[in-house]
Parts: sequence; structure tokens; C-alpha cells
Amino acid sequence: MKRFYHVVAIPIRIVLNNFGDYNETGMMYVLKENEEKVKEAVKKNPFTPVDLVQPLCIRANQGDTVEILFENKIHYATGMHFQEADYDVLNSDGANVGFNPNTLAEPGEKILYRLQFNHEGVSIFTDLGNPDSSDEGTSINGLFGCLFIEKRGSWWTDPETGGPLNSGMFADVHHPFAPSFREYAFIFHDEMSTKDITGNRPLDPVTNQERESTHAISYRYEPEQNRKRLIEEGVVCPDCEGEEVHHDSWVFGDPATPIFRGYRGDPAKYRLVHAGVKETHVFHYHAHSFFRDPLNTDSDVFDAISVSPQSWYTIDTLYGLGSLVGAFGDFIIHCHLYPHFGVGMWAINRVFDTLQDGSQCYPNGVPIKALQPLPDRPCPPAPTKERPGFPNFIPGKVGCKAPRPPLGVVGGRGLTELERNAAVPTARPGAVFTDPCIIEENPAVQEINVSLIELPLVYNRQGWHDPKGRIYVRDEDLEDVLAGRKEPEPLILHMNAGTCLSVNFTNRLPEVASGDAFQLVTRTYETSFHVHFVKFDVLVSDGANVGWNYDSSVLPGETIRYEYFADVELKAWFFHDHLFASYHQQHGVFGSTVVHGRFSKVLDPKTGEEVEAGAQVTVTHPLIPDYRDFALMVHDFALLFDKDGCPLNPPEFPGSQDDPGLFAVNYKNEPLQFRLGKDCDPAYSFSSFVNDDPVTPILHCYEGDPIRIRLLQGAQEESHSFNVHGLRWKKERPDIETEFQSQEHIGISESFTFDMEVPRSGDYLWTFETEEDLWNGCWGLIRAYDEEVDFLIPLEDRPSPPKRTKPLPVCTGNPPPPAKKVEVDAPLNAPVKVFHIAAFHVPIRYSKWGEQDPYGIIFALKEDMDEILSGKKEPVPLILRANQGDVVEVHLTSFLESEKFPFPDGIWPYPPVKEQAFYPPSVRISLHPQLIQYDVKSSAGETVGFNPDQTAGPGETVTYRWYVDVAVGACGMWDMADIRNHRSLGTYGTFIAESRGTQILNPKTRTPAVITSENVILNHPFSPDRREFVLVMYDGARLVDRDGCVIIDPVDGILTDVDPDELDDLVDTYDNGSRGFNYRTERLINRLNEHPILKDLFSSKVHGDPSTPVFEAYPGDPITIRLVNPSERRRAHTFHLHGHYWNTDDKDIFSQVKSIEDHVVLGHARDLQLHYGAGSFFNFPGDYMYRSGNIRWDIEQGMWGIIRVHKNKQVHLLPLKNSNAKLN
Amino acid sequence: MEQDIRLTEISLPSVNDIHDEALINEFVAGIGKNVLIMTPSFPFVFIGRIVEVVGDAVVVDVKVTTIGELENRLWYIHAHQIEVFYIEQKGMPRIPELRDDI
Repeated sequence: MKRFYHVVAIPIRIVLNNFGDYNETGMMYVLKENEEKVKEAVKKNPFTPVDLVQPLCIRANQGDTVEILFENKIHYATGMHFQEADYDVLNSDGANVGFNPNTLAEPGEKILYRLQFNHEGVSIFTDLGNPDSSDEGTSINGLFGCLFIEKRGSWWTDPETGGPLNSGMFADVHHPFAPSFREYAFIFHDEMSTKDITGNRPLDPVTNQERESTHAISYRYEPEQNRKRLIEEGVVCPDCEGEEVHHDSWVFGDPATPIFRGYRGDPAKYRLVHAGVKETHVFHYHAHSFFRDPLNTDSDVFDAISVSPQSWYTIDTLYGLGSLVGAFGDFIIHCHLYPHFGVGMWAINRVFDTLQDGSQCYPNGVPIKALQPLPDRPCPPAPTKERPGFPNFIPGKVGCKAPRPPLGVVGGRGLTELERNAAVPTARPGAVFTDPCIIEENPAVQEINVSLIELPLVYNRQGWHDPKGRIYVRDEDLEDVLAGRKEPEPLILHMNAGTCLSVNFTNRLPEVASGDAFQLVTRTYETSFHVHFVKFDVLVSDGANVGWNYDSSVLPGETIRYEYFADVELKAWFFHDHLFASYHQQHGVFGSTVVHGRFSKVLDPKTGEEVEAGAQVTVTHPLIPDYRDFALMVHDFALLFDKDGCPLNPPEFPGSQDDPGLFAVNYKNEPLQFRLGKDCDPAYSFSSFVNDDPVTPILHCYEGDPIRIRLLQGAQEESHSFNVHGLRWKKERPDIETEFQSQEHIGISESFTFDMEVPRSGDYLWTFETEEDLWNGCWGLIRAYDEEVDFLIPLEDRPSPPKRTKPLPVCTGNPPPPAKKVEVDAPLNAPVKVFHIAAFHVPIRYSKWGEQDPYGIIFALKEDMDEILSGKKEPVPLILRANQGDVVEVHLTSFLESEKFPFPDGIWPYPPVKEQAFYPPSVRISLHPQLIQYDVKSSAGETVGFNPDQTAGPGETVTYRWYVDVAVGACGMWDMADIRNHRSLGTYGTFIAESRGTQILNPKTRTPAVITSENVILNHPFSPDRREFVLVMYDGARLVDRDGCVIIDPVDGILTDVDPDELDDLVDTYDNGSRGFNYRTERLINRLNEHPILKDLFSSKVHGDPSTPVFEAYPGDPITIRLVNPSERRRAHTFHLHGHYWNTDDKDIFSQVKSIEDHVVLGHARDLQLHYGAGSFFNFPGDYMYRSGNIRWDIEQGMWGIIRVHKNKQVHLLPLKNSNAKLN
Repeated sequence: MEQDIRLTEISLPSVNDIHDEALINEFVAGIGKNVLIMTPSFPFVFIGRIVEVVGDAVVVDVKVTTIGELENRLWYIHAHQIEVFYIEQKGMPRIPELRDDI
């Protein structure tokens, strides 16, 4: 089917909420038919949000051809670049890339884009005419939208009228065979320049400083600070504090952000889109769950998911609205990053239990808009006086805080008559209007008593501490914890699937939290136990205060009862307070409950006694293999003081959310600055011989034990990258067809379970590996014993470990000797590939603009070292390849010299980290690979725990032996000897585990290629030839310009001026550093300075080709991109390739198809097998840009390049053997 | 040519018939005994007592599956769906008793 949309880009004033906050430089895409209407409405309503001012959402079906007539009314050239689409890149790319014709539209001009959509999902469209990251850019100002790709044969209607719909964020989508569903656009965006109604920058009424940057959903946000002002001024709820009623519609009425409306049980899909420019947000949906990959029923189930700029997910709500238990009421959906949540990045999913025909009102008199029932669902009952339906049976008072739930608070009230009419017959504390446990007949019931308390927490041996630690404890442990007999740790509870859980929660916090360098005095007088994942009655057991629901929290000294049902083995669910979370979650107010398989027994790993709680437990089961269960909860914004009481990394002013404090895992950290040892050599920072074991968790098991790691993030704003060295797990745990990974990006409230076995004894390093996290101590060990120890029971179903014959190793203060034997488990006849690798100093030229790293350190084949040093060969990140079944023998020699480091004094100033300290450069070096097999005691490429030394000093050679048991594809590879002084200089590369029988060929000559090439042909006897392009995405580089001045990226690369007022807190530590691909960068600022025309920035006709790799192919050539990020900063990136897409799991052909990879951060390693080969579905020739999706601050800082698909035969590029391309 | 004819020849009973028959006989002999059955499709695991065999379907009074909602009822499990099974025998291991109460 062919569809046509006439879209206009217009400047528009965007009013972001009912308080009149606005963006005067807003821009939007709008259908031509609405252009005048929207302009007129904005003119008439300059201070209130206008409905039509919303991101453009249009729809098409899979297989449709869509023509977009794009008309540009912005005063410079703009365009529409569509993701996930098939199109001729020469006329429909919506950009001006390489040698393609310009497909942007000049001001006042029109251009026709012709697109085809061949897979379901979301096609985000954005402008690339102006990629400026500053407030002057287009994306930041709202110039984005989405085309939703529905199943073939679908049609859609207006949910309010049931009539036809050309565009809009909400639609009811219908299909002849599939159920109708509610479709909700949920579009995150950030950093939009915003003024308050007076035309000034918005202030926080408490700190009187500027409030956080704008974090919005679909051009709306609802900041706490605005609502708080109404409290301060006595307009509403004068006895309230602020945060606890931020989401309370009883106090303030409904927010300006979207309300996603439906009836109980309605199928619903959120099209979750990040159209913003910078942050990776976490989407969290209360009381509902969804598959990470909606096309794969074997995919993991989540209720919180990270999403990076210009990426998307379909959130296909499992069981429909109200989830399994058929709950109704208000379900908040929000970005879980608290500073974003606080500033208004939240919205409500309102699930009605009665029919809404437009005749009803909310308690505050605002009419409830009509909502058509879905045609294939039973019509909900009409409201009656006795049963008015949600929210009108709740005995609240407008302008005051929501009432407490009936029955729940111990000693509290019973039911009113209207409540009784609405209640289920089995109404009981915590389950009044929905019975979560009715799913199963007579389910097992587990009752847990939990309190929230305040106590000082000591984070490390150096006395870093949080005097106001706030943690959940079981009441049974309360005395022991307070008396110091039990070490505080995040509360990790255990339960079995199919259990009905009843929690008695007592608030034992002081009513007022005192002030200090980090925070102002705050009355945190009510708290809760808000849970993720499990099923419950949202009105009374949400542990929150949302919309027109009850306030299900309690005052100090009170106890409230909640009830939840764990329907299946749901891995680990997160819990935390929802009333003053922004204030105190980073003090430790978080925990988790692990849902084990039915019939599991949870044991203390030391005594074997059955237990209910613990971050490290042993689990036995009559049928499935027993396992060790470990919970790790990472947290940032840890507001710590040193032993002398000085605040560590305090903010500029108390109450600031500008990245205060430090990091920890399970309330502990082990900063590297304290682990230099007497020789002051960073190479032994992780060695327990030199520094003893870290205070962070050491996860104990025996060789061969199955383990499950429950990974969660407890607080507060930032992305982290979890890596386990020497082990790996399946990406989709329930699925057999899935790729392996050894790294996971995590944001607050996300929860992952990693299931694996520990094959050999030794110490395995786990890390939150980005430089600042690791530097500040977010790491620990998995320790697998080869012989029995008296503090760890063996697993019942595994052979008993041998009796101990040798004492356990102890700290000696001295570096360990190297391994005596370097062996790897591999078949005796396995082919051996030997690599002699040198690590040495060499200046690296990063671009044709004279940008270079004069202090570069690289890994290279020893045979290439002389040529690289003499400038005959360009330095490139080391790429090693071997085939499945190969043993890889690496001999690594260090040629490092102390005096060749930029900062031999031991203070590395830029790119910076929090809590700077002396850490002199190490001249030792190592090489650690991901995903392949080796013995960590000899070949992990790092000196960890009580393992032998695996680093090489100057002139020394260390040998590693690795075995490629599976063709895992791309693996990151990096140095672990000195993460502060080496990584920024280039000490990383890629290992590629190719299929057995693969030969690599030079694309120019088809002769065997140099093994380290970034561009090769993979030749295999059974498969067609493929091109393999290797992209090593890096960040955190320290470059100098042609005048020798250090480039302070990202600020130096911003295309237009930065407001000096903003400069101080514009970037976070982890935004610093230069970036690009493969030791190359193409910073747009150089191009702009030479030719100051924005629309030509990516044009090779004007600027020549970029310095970053330009990969070449012929139409239809099969291509695999090996994408890794082995570098160092915490800011997550998106990767997007124009005009192409791939399976998001390269080992599962049924996995979702996308044209983006999101949250790419240290350890990310993926293999992108492009569908249909070069030029995608139509095999169109042209220049296809690959790039980051982060407008802030990647693209303009040089993170982009080109894949060039040639129409004509090139002298330097031989066609593939099986090529069908008709070349001229 | 000779080979081709062999390929199209059908001899009855086929090896699959023999396999099915043996399976049916095994379950008929096991009526009244406890059984553990695994299938490739949901809910994957059944533990209970064999009640009868109807044609090539085994009727099991299921006490335990992977989720509680599907327990304590008769399940008709087609022989072709049975990938793994164990019928409790004297002198052989007992099927673990699985209980929800903690």
C-alpha cells in the first residue's frame, strides 16, 4: 500500500506544562493539514500547553511504501532522516552525506522522500541538517517524530472518537486477525532550553539555584519544583513537604505529561522512543512487565529498560493493562534516574474499571474524556452512584494529600461504603480492590517483616562513610545490625515462584533528615516499600503516591501491610522507597527480592541452614542443578565523607543534583588510589597479594559450580557497565538461540540475571568497568576454590571438593610471581595461532585536521612495530582473529618507558575522574580478552586477587593461551595494568572469533589479508563471501590540535557558542575526552571553521572524505560489522547505520530487527549482520553514514563515518566471488 | 534404481509404530504409578500419577508442573510430545516430593 504525508518543519513556541515553562526556540514536524491550526492555537494560548503541539506520530504498515513530501519552514536547511526504512540513499536519506546528492530541503523548499518499511517497530525521524549539540540545534528543540510500523493489514482509529486518525500520539490499532490494542507514543527527550513563565531560567524554590535541565516526555514535563511552589505559597496541602506529593493528583490535579488511558485488560503497546540528545534514560512501568524483545517469547522479562538517544523499543505489555491480576488505577511510568524523575520526566497510565463516555468527571471537576472500548473486548460496566468506578470511590479531598489505603495501615481505618462496593470479596490488608493471589488456589504465603532505618554506613577500610545511611532490614535482624553484630548490606530477600508475599513494613526513620554539604534539611516523614515486577493491587500496595490512587506509605513508627504475588520465576525484583527517593535512595534505601524456581531451598552458604535473606546464598532444588546466588547492587551519588568528616566530591551547593558523591556496590567500595602498594605500581591494584582482598563482595564458589548473578542498580542517576572477566552468559537467559556476552549496561532499577558456570578455580574479576567507576572502587572478585574451605558448603548435587592440601593464600605485600604454567583446556590437536605483540609509545594521528595523541600507546604485532614507529604504517587498534577451535598463544612484550607518559607525576588531569589522586603510570602492560576461554590463573591478562602476575614489565614478555571454543565474533580486548594512565592513550583492540574454516582475504587483492586489518573478506567453504568491517568505538581520548594545545572535548567541539553561564556545569566528568572510531575522529568543528555552512558538514564533496574509516562494498555484498567499545567513559552511546538494519541478537534469526545498537559502553561487543547486504533491501548504491545517535556530544565530536556502496567497479576493490551486483 | 525403490517401500509396522507401541505399553504397565514427564512445550514438566492410557495419550493426575495454576487436574499428554519420562519403580530412585510450603 502506498501512503502519503505532507510534513512541514516549523518553528513553534512549545509550552511544556501548565505552569507556563516554555521553549521559545522550539521546532516541530507537523502535518500540513494541521500547520495553520497549530500556529493559530499557539498564538491564542501563549502560556498554556497546546494539544496539537506534540511530536508528530504517523503510521504505516509493514510492506507499505510511504511518500513524505517534506517542506522546510526553518530558516536553514533541514530534513527528515528515517531509521528502519528502506530507501534510495541518493534521494531519500534526509541528509547530505559523503558524495550523495543533498537530500535536505532549503528554507521554503520541498523535497519528496520515498520510503519502504519492511519490519515492525518504530522509525524515528530526525533532522541532520543541523547536528549542533547546543541550544541552537534542531533535535534539542523538538524537531523529531516517529513513524510507527504496524503489522501488515492494520488500521487505526482515534481512541476518543473511534474515528479515523492521520497522526497522533495515541491510537487504537486494529487488525483482521490479531487483537486490537492501545498504541501509546512515549517519547523521551532531554536538554531542551526552557524558560519559566516570567522568561527567566527556572529556579528550584528550595535551593534558589537553577533547576535541573529539562527532561521531558513528548514535549511535556511536570517538575516537582513547580508543584512545590504551590505548597510553599499555601495554595495546596500546606502540611506537605514536596517530593511525597509530586505525583499526587489529589493535591495538584493531573500532570501536563501524557495520560495513557485504557480499560482493565486492554492489550497495550508503548512505542518507547528516545528522541533526545544526550542521556540514557531508564523507562520504568509500575506493576507491569514486558519482553525485552517482543518478538521473542524466550526473551527476558523486564519492567525497567535503558534507552539511549535515537533508539527505541516496543513495550508490549504482558497480560494487558492491569497486568496478570487485572489491577486498575493509576500506574506511573517514569524515567527512573531521580534527577530526571524529579524534574518532571513522568507520566501516568490510567486504567479505568468503568466505561468512560465523556459524562464523568475527576474528583476535581475536570471532565474525563470519552474512551472507546476496544471493539474486540467486553465493554466495561457503566459507572453507577454506588459503583462510580476509579477514581471516584476514593475518599480523598481535592487540594490535600491522597488518603491512606483502607485496611493496610496497622491500627488504621476500614472501608467506606463506596470502597466496600469497589472492593474484592476477599479484601484484606494490601489487597483490597484486586486480589493478586487469586491466580492460584491456596498459594503458599510468605510473611516478611521489614523496617527502614537510619544508621552510619562505613564503605571501606579508609573510613569513607555515610553518616546518614538508610537501609532496609528484616525486623529479626534489626538489633544485630544496629549493634554492629551484622554487617549492613542491601536487603536481599528470597522467595519461590508461585508464592503470595505479605510484607509488614515499618517506617523507623527519623521524621527529619539533617543537612550537610550534600543536602539541605528535609522532612522525609513518610516512606514506603515500593516493589517492581511482582503483581499487586496498585491502589493500595504500590508503596507510592500516584495520581488519584491512595498514598500507600506510612509515617514514622507506623506499619503498613502490602501483598504481592510472584507468578513465575521472575529473577530479582527491585524495591525502594517512592516518597522521598530523590532525597535518600542514594543513602542506601534499596534492596531486592530474588524469585527462585518453585520448590527451591535457600541456604546460608557457610552453615547450610535455611535462610530468607542474604546477598550470597546457596540454592538447592530437587530437579534443577543447585547454584550459588549472588546479588550485586551498584549505586552512584553515594554521599560519603572521609574518615576526617570531609565530604567526598560534594556538589557546588547542598541540594544540587549535579553528580554529587561517589560510587559503591552493596554499600562498599575499594578505590584504586588506596591500592598502589609499596612499589606504587598500578599494575597490582587488583592483587590480593599486594593489598589483600577488597572489602567489596567476594563471591565464593567451588570450581565447576553453577552461579547466578543478580545485577541491580540501587541509585541514582548514572549508567554503569558491568563486566565479568573470564566468564560469559547467554544474553537472553531463557533462550537457547542467543549470543554470549560478558558485559551489561545497567541503569537504576534495571535487573538482570546472569546464569553461568565457573569452569576452573581462580579469582575472576567483576567490575563496573568504566574508568571513573573502577577508579572509585566498583569491583570485586568471584573466587572459585579448587579444594574444600570451611566457610562454604559444597553443592549437594556436585562432587565434593577435594580436602584441602595447601593453606589459602594470604597477602604478602609483594607482587605475585608469574604463572608457572600457562595452559588452556583445548583438544590436543587444536591448531595454534601464535601472536607476538608489542606495547609501545607512538604518536597517533587521529585526523587529517592535525589532531593527534603525541603520547599514544598501542598494541601491535611485533613485526609491524618498526614500520609503525618510522611512520610507514599508521597505528590502528590491534585486531586479532582466530577461528573456532583454535588455540591462541599471545606473547606480549612491554616497551613502555616512564618518561614517555604525559603525566609522570601521577596526577592525570584530563579526561578527569571524580576523587582525583596520585596514581603514577605503570610501565607494565597486559591484554585482557572477553568471551573466549582461558585459565584466569595464567591468561586473563590482568593480575587479580590471588592469581599469579599476568602483566609484562619493560623488556619482559608475558604469555597467554586462549581457546576459541565458540565463534563468538567480536570481543573487546584491553589493558588492565593501569586503567588511569593507559586507556586514554589507546591501549585497546578487538579479538574476533571467526567460524571454523574461515579465511580472511584482502578486499583489494583477494590474497590472504593481514590478520590485523579492519576491513577484510571472510571466505568460507560453506558460506558466501562476506565483508567484515571492524569498528572500535572509543571515547575518553586525550588529543592535541595542530598547535599542540590539548583539545577539551566535548566543549571545544561544540559547533556554536556555549553560554558562559552554562559552561561550569555543562558537562559531567564522564562526558570529557575525544571520541570516534579506530583511533580516528572527524570533528565537525574543523569542517565548520573551514566552510561555515551547517548543511554541508557531512559532505565529502565539500570537505573530502572523513578521517574515520570509509568502508567500501558493492551493492548486495554481505556485510558483518564487528562493533566493540573497549574504551573508558560512562556516557552510553547509540550506534546507527543509515539505511540498514540487522537482528539485535546475531545468533537468533527470530530476534527483533533494528537499525540501532543502544547503550554502547565499555565492554559492548556485537556482530551486526546487515540484512540484504550492502545497500539493504533494494541494494541501492551510495554513501551510508554510520554514526552515534548522541547529538550531545558524539556526532559533532567526530563519531561518524561512511560505508560506501559503489555502483561502478573500482580498481582497488575486487567484487566478492558470489556477487550478483551488476557493476558498470 | 534399486535404491530408489527401497526408499519408497513402506513396511508395516514401521520403526515409528514400534517405538510408539513400546511407549504405550510402558505407560499402560505404569498405570497407578508416579511419573515424571518432560515435553518441549509449555508447561514442560509434569509430575503425578498415571491414571490411564487412551489411544496414544497418557492421562496423568498432575500434582506438580512448573506453575501452580495448572496443577491438580488431569492432563492428556500425547505420546509424541513426551521427550523424557521416568515411571517410578521399586528399587529405583523416587521422584522428589515437591512442596510449596516453606
